[in-house]
Amino acid sequence: MADSDSDYIASSGDEAPKSKSNKTGKRGKRAGREKPRERWEEIQRAWDLGLEDDNIESTISELLEAGKKRRLLKDETPLQRGIIRHLVLILDLSVAMAEKDLRPTRYLLSLRYACDFVREFFEQNPISQMAVVGMRDGIAIRISDMGGNPQTHVDAIQKLRLDDPDGSPSLQNALEMARGALFHTPSHGTREVVIIYGALWSADPGDIHTTIRSLVADKIRVAVVGLAAQVSICKELVRITNAGDTSSYTVALNEVHFREKLLEATTPPVTRTQKMSANGLLMMGFPSRIVERTASLCACHSQMNKGGYLCSRCGTKVCQLPCECPACGLTLILSTHLARSYHHLFPLKNWLEVSWTEARRSTHCFSCQSAFPPPPAAALKDTPDAERQPAKTGSSTSISSRYKCPDCGMHFCVDCDVFCHEILYNCPGCQSLGDEKPARTTRGKKRARELSEGGAGAPPPPPPPAPPEPEPMVID
Amino acid sequence: MDKVDASAHYQGVTEDKPSLLVVVLDTNPFAWQSLHSELPLQTALSHILLFLNAHLSFSHANRVAVIASHTKSATFLYPNSAAAAETAETSVDLYRDANKYRLFASIERQVQSSMQRLLSSTAPESLAGTNETTMAGALSLALAYINRVCNADNLSDSGEGSGGGARPGEARADTASMTARILVVSVSGDLANQYVSVMNSIFAAQRQRVPIDICKIAGDTVFLQQASDSTNGIYMQLQHPSALLQYLLSCFMSDPSTRHHLIPPSQINVDFRAACFCHKRVVDIGFVCSICLSIFCSPPPGAICTTCNTKLDVSALGNYGGKPAVVLMKKKKIKKAKKVLNDSAADSSTPGTPVA
Repeated sequence: MADSDSDYIASSGDEAPKSKSNKTGKRGKRAGREKPRERWEEIQRAWDLGLEDDNIESTISELLEAGKKRRLLKDETPLQRGIIRHLVLILDLSVAMAEKDLRPTRYLLSLRYACDFVREFFEQNPISQMAVVGMRDGIAIRISDMGGNPQTHVDAIQKLRLDDPDGSPSLQNALEMARGALFHTPSHGTREVVIIYGALWSADPGDIHTTIRSLVADKIRVAVVGLAAQVSICKELVRITNAGDTSSYTVALNEVHFREKLLEATTPPVTRTQKMSANGLLMMGFPSRIVERTASLCACHSQMNKGGYLCSRCGTKVCQLPCECPACGLTLILSTHLARSYHHLFPLKNWLEVSWTEARRSTHCFSCQSAFPPPPAAALKDTPDAERQPAKTGSSTSISSRYKCPDCGMHFCVDCDVFCHEILYNCPGCQSLGDEKPARTTRGKKRARELSEGGAGAPPPPPPPAPPEPEPMVID
Repeated sequence: MDKVDASAHYQGVTEDKPSLLVVVLDTNPFAWQSLHSELPLQTALSHILLFLNAHLSFSHANRVAVIASHTKSATFLYPNSAAAAETAETSVDLYRDANKYRLFASIERQVQSSMQRLLSSTAPESLAGTNETTMAGALSLALAYINRVCNADNLSDSGEGSGGGARPGEARADTASMTARILVVSVSGDLANQYVSVMNSIFAAQRQRVPIDICKIAGDTVFLQQASDSTNGIYMQLQHPSALLQYLLSCFMSDPSTRHHLIPPSQINVDFRAACFCHKRVVDIGFVCSICLSIFCSPPPGAICTTCNTKLDVSALGNYGGKPAVVLMKKKKIKKAKKVLNDSAADSSTPGTPVA
């Protein structure tokens, strides 16, 4: 795969100067047109990839690995992130969403992914809040109010399935409504807007640039996922509200890409400046669970149930956490909810590729006990060739299908690599070898110190948080 | 709801998935020594092996794994490639024993031999002053193994993470949709310094819908209580450790799909209260730093977070978490304007109204 890729680029590179020199020639016009390669020309054909390698199986498995590994290489520096978030999800419900270029329709697909987004958002940010707003018929409609319960949002979004998309979207109206929803949110949290935008136009009642300016004044940052094509105003909106950074505006290429880009917004954003969010001290209640003999009404949903949690300040019964006490407004959470956010503060290091020479050490994945492919005969000899062979293939996968944790040095398979970085956030090797290896929190501490001291080329430094003490969260 | 009952039966039959059981055995020598009079480790191991055999005999597709959580390391006891090679060398007659099902025998040998290796490799001096166990590592291993074995089905439903498409089918096709659970046989307490990693494991289990059952023979850890509570597992504190096998068979035998029809034992009261970082006091209402999420029992001195050294804004705490008052500025102006209007109107048109 790697070879064919580089070949292709190399050949086009050869052609480029030729076409320049031929410009005045007979084929000049055609050659000139060939020079900048368009997006649709960069097609990877499956049959091109496998041809050069005589071993088709290894090529296929390498392709599969590359697919798995794709989302993995993340930024691993412990940055300060806005853990407590306030987000407004804006859905395009205009006639543009009736298009069927994304199956089944843009409308149904975006509703489905919006539900996924809500669930994933609260999974990742349990102490955050969200609201959903729709754009239809030139106005903004409120779909669900700011709240911390995923089910209410999902239910509200599911109800939209019965309606049909209609009318024009109005970016300005929706942004104004989002601004209103975020107006009273406390300053210690982030204020974000995520827009799914299918249309290529916007029917606005006034000057949208004033709205954008007021968004900046309110410290609201906007991310947009476009479905059709790049729209200038969206790009400008994202650029201005994100301090010149347009990376959070993307246009979805296909269904998978759409989902990926939308779910990217579930990771808490890096705090850019101290001003973005004030460092607040929050008052929170940690209620204990009670079990009752007779059912009683809960204050949050007015439903009969036995047991629940009593607000630690006013004693109101709520049936699920986290929530805000309906009576006194105290934030009620479990200490486990706080723990859920720790992995954002101390991300797991990316694992390294392992060359064949080093691969001799292991025969099985450390964590799942599945067998690795044996090293080829050439690599078993201590030839300088084998030493020089790079561990990485062109598609960022490991040549020996092994991945090594830089701390504990254990070898893992690609499945475990993905699993540990996406879901577990622990390195089984470091955890299993206990005291012999540095524990994760101390590493975070060390790196945090390094970063704050040396800078290591860090961008305008948001001070990395020192790790919270691990022990005392819950004590009997 | 008003469908014929038979449909439920039919569905129940089709959904009968094989199940994977991962036993995490806490092998802290101190704790087992103190339990020696009631339940020696040897007996406990034989009980667990019997339990594994019982699990395997439910279906030929059921699978097991055993992980030892030792004082400073966590390792696989079964499947263990080294032990497998060893037993293959030493015991040629393994498969010729007519009195034992082959799988049972091979698991037994592997678990025993790798257990022996683990214990003999433990140097007495390395144990000095440790009374804990690498539960976080063992849980991580268990979850990674479960993820591997059950991989095929979470490709379709969760989508994220392993979104690369189907893997080359062959051997994994038959174990495509397995239900999995973890059984922790715990004898020691105090996991305090692994808090974050244990919590990460618990959340991963929750996301993968893997129940964590806790069979607590001795000791006490709040984390394991929370683990079983948040993953809908069973929590059992044994009254009579010598009857381990009976507990295992009667409480922990049912696989996750059967549990819908049973009322499994679980602890009623889980302690969720937090302890503050500053005085280690257990608090009902605490103050949380918005940057590092550390908990304080009162606003820290000088309004500087003691863990992350951030200057905190305490002024917002003036109303102690109450909702912010609605800003009235504009409204007032309007009122004033209206009042003036009203006044002038009142003056001009209705002279009869009593104006104070």
